Amino acid sequence: MPNDVKVNHRIKFLAIICLAVMAVFVMRLFYLQIVEHDKYIALANKEQLKRLSIPAKRGEIYMMDDGRLTKVVLNQTVYTMFVDPAIVDEPEKVKDAIREVVGGNAVDGFSKLVDKKETRYQVVAKTVTRTQAQLIKKRQLKGIGFQAESRRVYPEKKLAAQTLGFVNFEGNGQYGIEGMFDKELKGKNGLLQSVTDVSNVPLTIGNKNIDLPAQDGRNIVLTLDRNIQAYSEQALARGVKRSGADSGSVIVMDPNTGKVLAMSSLPTYDPSKYNVVTNAQAFNLGAVNNPYEPGSVMKTFTMATGIDTGAVKPSSTYVNTDYIKVEDRTITNASKGETGTITFQHALNWSLNTGMVTVAERLGNGTIDSKARSTMYRYLHDKFKLGELTGIEVSGEAAGRIIAPDEADGNAVRYSNMTFGQGMDLTMVQVAAGFGAMVNGGTYYSPTVIEGAVDKDGQLVKAAPKPAQPNVISPSTSSQMRDMVIKARRAFYASSDLPGYRVGGKTGTSQTIVNGSYENGQTIATYLGFGGDTKPRYVIMVEVSGKGKNLAGNIDAMPIFTDISNWTIDYLKLQPQR
Amino acid sequence: MSYSTTATYSRRRSNWNRNQNTVAFTSAVKLGPITHTVLVALMITVLGLIYLTQATKATSYDYEAQKIDTKIAELSDEKTDLEVENARLTALSEVQSSSVARAMTKPSTPAYVGN
Repeated sequence: MPNDVKVNHRIKFLAIICLAVMAVFVMRLFYLQIVEHDKYIALANKEQLKRLSIPAKRGEIYMMDDGRLTKVVLNQTVYTMFVDPAIVDEPEKVKDAIREVVGGNAVDGFSKLVDKKETRYQVVAKTVTRTQAQLIKKRQLKGIGFQAESRRVYPEKKLAAQTLGFVNFEGNGQYGIEGMFDKELKGKNGLLQSVTDVSNVPLTIGNKNIDLPAQDGRNIVLTLDRNIQAYSEQALARGVKRSGADSGSVIVMDPNTGKVLAMSSLPTYDPSKYNVVTNAQAFNLGAVNNPYEPGSVMKTFTMATGIDTGAVKPSSTYVNTDYIKVEDRTITNASKGETGTITFQHALNWSLNTGMVTVAERLGNGTIDSKARSTMYRYLHDKFKLGELTGIEVSGEAAGRIIAPDEADGNAVRYSNMTFGQGMDLTMVQVAAGFGAMVNGGTYYSPTVIEGAVDKDGQLVKAAPKPAQPNVISPSTSSQMRDMVIKARRAFYASSDLPGYRVGGKTGTSQTIVNGSYENGQTIATYLGFGGDTKPRYVIMVEVSGKGKNLAGNIDAMPIFTDISNWTIDYLKLQPQR
Repeated sequence: MSYSTTATYSRRRSNWNRNQNTVAFTSAVKLGPITHTVLVALMITVLGLIYLTQATKATSYDYEAQKIDTKIAELSDEKTDLEVENARLTALSEVQSSSVARAMTKPSTPAYVGN
């Protein structure tokens, strides 16, 4: 049967070919599915798996408003409106929509941009609100798109601008609280990894899905009181204008807690328009960032040191001749004529340099020797924390400097100058915090602007209080200093204050250093004081300065203090004492 | 070790009693191997369809969830907008320049009991 054999042979041959083809398929499949498994899995994941970042909401910033929380920095979703001119089929209607709905937010020359048919992407409006975007979407025009972005909103405009800081175009906080707490305010972006459809809608299929929710930024509550802050800024602006000065700073603190109630500087700026600021000084918070020689306000610290060590009493006397020699230098009084035997209270009232140098001499063995200098340094630097960082939670705090007695420059001449506020670099926040300790009974509270944080339920979670340093000076010294400072103020400005309140203060007029030497024609005016009823309720420090300006503490800074002080007494509803 | 099962039926049990109906059914239809294969294939197809229905159903929930998420986001944006508007309207500068504030008069110095 040769034919059967032939058919059988053909069938076998066909079977072999089939097997061979199948073998090729099997080998190819083996190659694709086993050998190249990881590669194709990766390709498939790349195509199907999407990793979407869930942006964390930046934390908001609150101030206090007579004990209540009020938002002063918020977030708002705004849109950048763009067109694809190649797709726009009704350009006139698109232009009308932009003109009628978006109006002032449209970019210059948007009409021409819509007509650029050869391009595919033209931004025609910025910071478009959600309502505006919805109105435009309702018109169902082709070729219009919106890109959402979050922006910071400052409803109070320039209020506490330097303390708050701003957020730049990259979303990073700069200056103030925004700069200091940038990481905490930013929060942590979440991650959504999921298989998605063509519209990027995440689907629950697959086993590689990740859903990490975003951790929103911390909502920070400041100790600043919105009303005290606003009034202080207005009073400062009025005072600076009255003096014809260029700049000024003010700080209001609660001496019983170290909480800063108001803090601002001039010139200032609007954080929402930080990009148009031409004077970089506007970003600086003078009270924290700019150390200077505070001048005669430091005489209160010299007196406190003298009284607390027992070297002098307010009623102790010395012979004033309007000048005093320290080594090869002669120090003179700015106010002359109060010569003869006078008390240190009198010396403080008249701000006599000779009196303060005498206190320093009595701290030593009749001269400003090593003992006197060490004692002064211990009080100024170690106890009142002057010339070092206070830890206030605002970016860019300057440490300032007090030269130690064991340094080459820490000689008697320098320390004699330090008794009346020269030869040292201090920030206002350091001086105000130290003065707070001086009048509150002797406890140093580190200055703070952080009241706490707002939790998810909108409740205030108070920040842990910073450690206080008690017994900086004795309660008796503190009481005597309060009386001295009140008398110093009442000696000249008794009629300025509301009757029945205990208000005290000290002027300061400091020369500035120009080309390495003190310049009499350019002075900085300072006033440092406190006010209250049965106890001190606030400490206010004011500074006014200007290039080429001869400013005086009693003329240019004191009225600003008085303005804020009298208003604060009413605001805090303090009752007058008999 | 081996096991064996021993069944012992009594004569009485193996006898049918009165009033007992006994039906012995033997199917006349005999299924061959092809029919079995087709049936198995059909069962697999049905199971596959059930799986697909469930998977599609799960996906439809995803779209539903997405819609709800979008709605939540919209409402959240709306809430934020309202908060911003509220903050703007209650800003001190706004309040101070309002007609109500302009119509206010400066208070006289307060008198306290006991003074």
